[in-house]
Amino acid sequence: MKTKNIFKYLMLLFLALQLTSCVSTEAEQKFDETPTERLNKQKKELDDLLLSPSDGWKVVYYTDDSQLGGFTHLIKFLPNGKVDMASDFDADTDIHNSQYEIQLGSTVSVVFTTKNKIHLLSDSNNSPLAAGKGFLGDFQFLYYGQENNDLVFRTNRTVKEVRFVKATPQDWADLKKNKVSIANMTGDINSPLFRILETTDGGTVKKYEFNFNAVTRFGSAAPLSDENSETLKVAVAYTPTGITVRPAVTVGTQKLTDFVYNETDKSFIATGTGGATAAIKFTNAPPRPTDDYKLFLEGGPQLTIGYIAANLATAASNSPYAISILDKVNATLAANQKIARVQIAFNDPLNGNYIAYQFNGGKATIYHFFTTTEDAVNKTIILTDDGWLGGTVASRAFLKILDDEITNPKGLYLKKESFTIFYSNVIYTYASAATPFRLTNYRF
Amino acid sequence: MKIIKQYKKLVLAVGIIALASCAHEDQPTESYLDFTPKVKTDLDVWIDQNYIDPYNISVQYEWNQNVVEANRFLYPPAIEKVKPALEIIKKIWIDSYSTIGGKDFVKIIAPRDFVLVGGVNVNPDDISNTLGLAEGGKRISLFQVDYVNKSNRASVTEFVHTIQHEYVHILNQTKPFDVQAWAKITPNDYSSDPFSISDTEARKLGFISAYARSNYTEDFAETAAIILLLSKTEYDALLASITVPAAVTAIKKKEAIVVQYYRDAFNIDFYALRDEAQKNTTDVLNN
Repeated sequence: MKTKNIFKYLMLLFLALQLTSCVSTEAEQKFDETPTERLNKQKKELDDLLLSPSDGWKVVYYTDDSQLGGFTHLIKFLPNGKVDMASDFDADTDIHNSQYEIQLGSTVSVVFTTKNKIHLLSDSNNSPLAAGKGFLGDFQFLYYGQENNDLVFRTNRTVKEVRFVKATPQDWADLKKNKVSIANMTGDINSPLFRILETTDGGTVKKYEFNFNAVTRFGSAAPLSDENSETLKVAVAYTPTGITVRPAVTVGTQKLTDFVYNETDKSFIATGTGGATAAIKFTNAPPRPTDDYKLFLEGGPQLTIGYIAANLATAASNSPYAISILDKVNATLAANQKIARVQIAFNDPLNGNYIAYQFNGGKATIYHFFTTTEDAVNKTIILTDDGWLGGTVASRAFLKILDDEITNPKGLYLKKESFTIFYSNVIYTYASAATPFRLTNYRF
Repeated sequence: MKIIKQYKKLVLAVGIIALASCAHEDQPTESYLDFTPKVKTDLDVWIDQNYIDPYNISVQYEWNQNVVEANRFLYPPAIEKVKPALEIIKKIWIDSYSTIGGKDFVKIIAPRDFVLVGGVNVNPDDISNTLGLAEGGKRISLFQVDYVNKSNRASVTEFVHTIQHEYVHILNQTKPFDVQAWAKITPNDYSSDPFSISDTEARKLGFISAYARSNYTEDFAETAAIILLLSKTEYDALLASITVPAAVTAIKKKEAIVVQYYRDAFNIDFYALRDEAQKNTTDVLNN
């Protein structure tokens, strides 16, 4: 083709393109308003909604319900970007004032722009899980709309759903009662060492060993019998009367979430219909008692186990109650004297069974002889008094609170542990069947 | 020739059509964007009067996800902690430089933006914390604002350390220091893992702190900042505590370069600046 023609066709094509490009300037409108108008409208809608309820909003914030529990926040939005807030994150349930803003992120969001209680979940300096991750909390919430009068948000960083539910004056008045529930659920040094979750649908009873971390507000329930195989994960949030759990505990066909504290036996009970219940109970009996004690009975081999303060005082398997007993005994001694060992010899061919209380600072050893019997039903070994050696009755009085624990008439749960501490010696723990006393020992 | 003529006509036609095609476009109406300024709090007004108006430095204390690292779990400062922290910076950093370097010294050479963060910025190693960040000499982020205790010297000094350190970087970006001379002093002990040893150990190698071992510029900034943070007596005591004589000599050589840099580049008597900062630190603690 000649250059002349190429030019001609090109120009014609160009002209045609120019003409058709002007044919329709009307783009099809999917929305009645421009994106800016819609965003402005959504911003105003959110701000109006946040400000509307006279008692503000209640937000039970589960930052990650696969490993952390829920934290209750009460939030009252005020004019001029101010906000009042209270939470049950820690002992301070008072109302604090700070600022908030409706910001445009990937969508319209509410941001708590200066520090308040909700920011405690996002403190890299207080991280119970991964280092530097705090409680995985967020304080910028992307607005996703309304559902049954609740405001539905998603967190900016972790994309978890968070619901703002209208609060009542009762919610504000009762928030401090959550602290009582926290104390009841956490327990103290006098609380029994173990917990079980027991469910019944009115007929079948299922039992689980329940472990709970008070800091993360998260628990797990491992089945104690073969027929219920699933280990339950439980994210806990506190209420004025007890706890609420997520996901719900399934009992028969019912789903139970709200547990109420029972003052009498210190349990938390969720009640359904037709006799269905789920209960979290404290117990001094280990959920999985062992037969390890049998080795130590009369006629068995010579065995010695001992608590050595220098190496075992900080063992995590010592219960706080046991530590407090040791501390009390040590407090009665002279400043340079402390319990060095509590050594228990079983089936010694020469001396039989005895507890040897040994001390630092030159104080003479005190021996307490005993005989052993078993409680085969409860799987405990019972140490019964068989006389003392060393000192007078009066001079041994300071040891009574400790000795009474070890020789308590309900006996001891003896357990061979799978961990070692400092040395390669096998570790045994014994726990009182009567109190939350548990001490860590080497086997020699 | 004929083609060119045709071509001209065609281009003219296209031009007219192109222009005419826009003739019936709607004219822009008023903007939908909301330009209403935020209602200023007392704190905002104070910041205007003490930072923006005199020094052209803005302060971001309200949370803005765009100026902090998203993968760090940080939070904004408590409102009542902002002003005390800014007062400390103003008194010890700005006022000291203004007195010794001239009224407009900080206004001319300064970061343009402060970002305040209330919480601790724990590093992934879970051992160290980031106290401050400087981005291109324009923005300085200061962490742990909620922890600053205005009546505790150690707390005030730690907080001011960040800004003094970062400001030395900004000065260096304006006028470079004598890197060649610096590099000859302790050439072999710089490390990409400076926190593997303690401050005390680093001083035995001729560095004023462990972090100074990072590289020449950090070394320069740390040396200048730490001298500015200490009184003469405290600095002499620090040198006296170093048991390796060669290390003391090295630090003194670095100090000499710092002093010379301030004099030659900015006509500032470094020791007078140090004394002024000390006086102002004492003033902060007493008020």
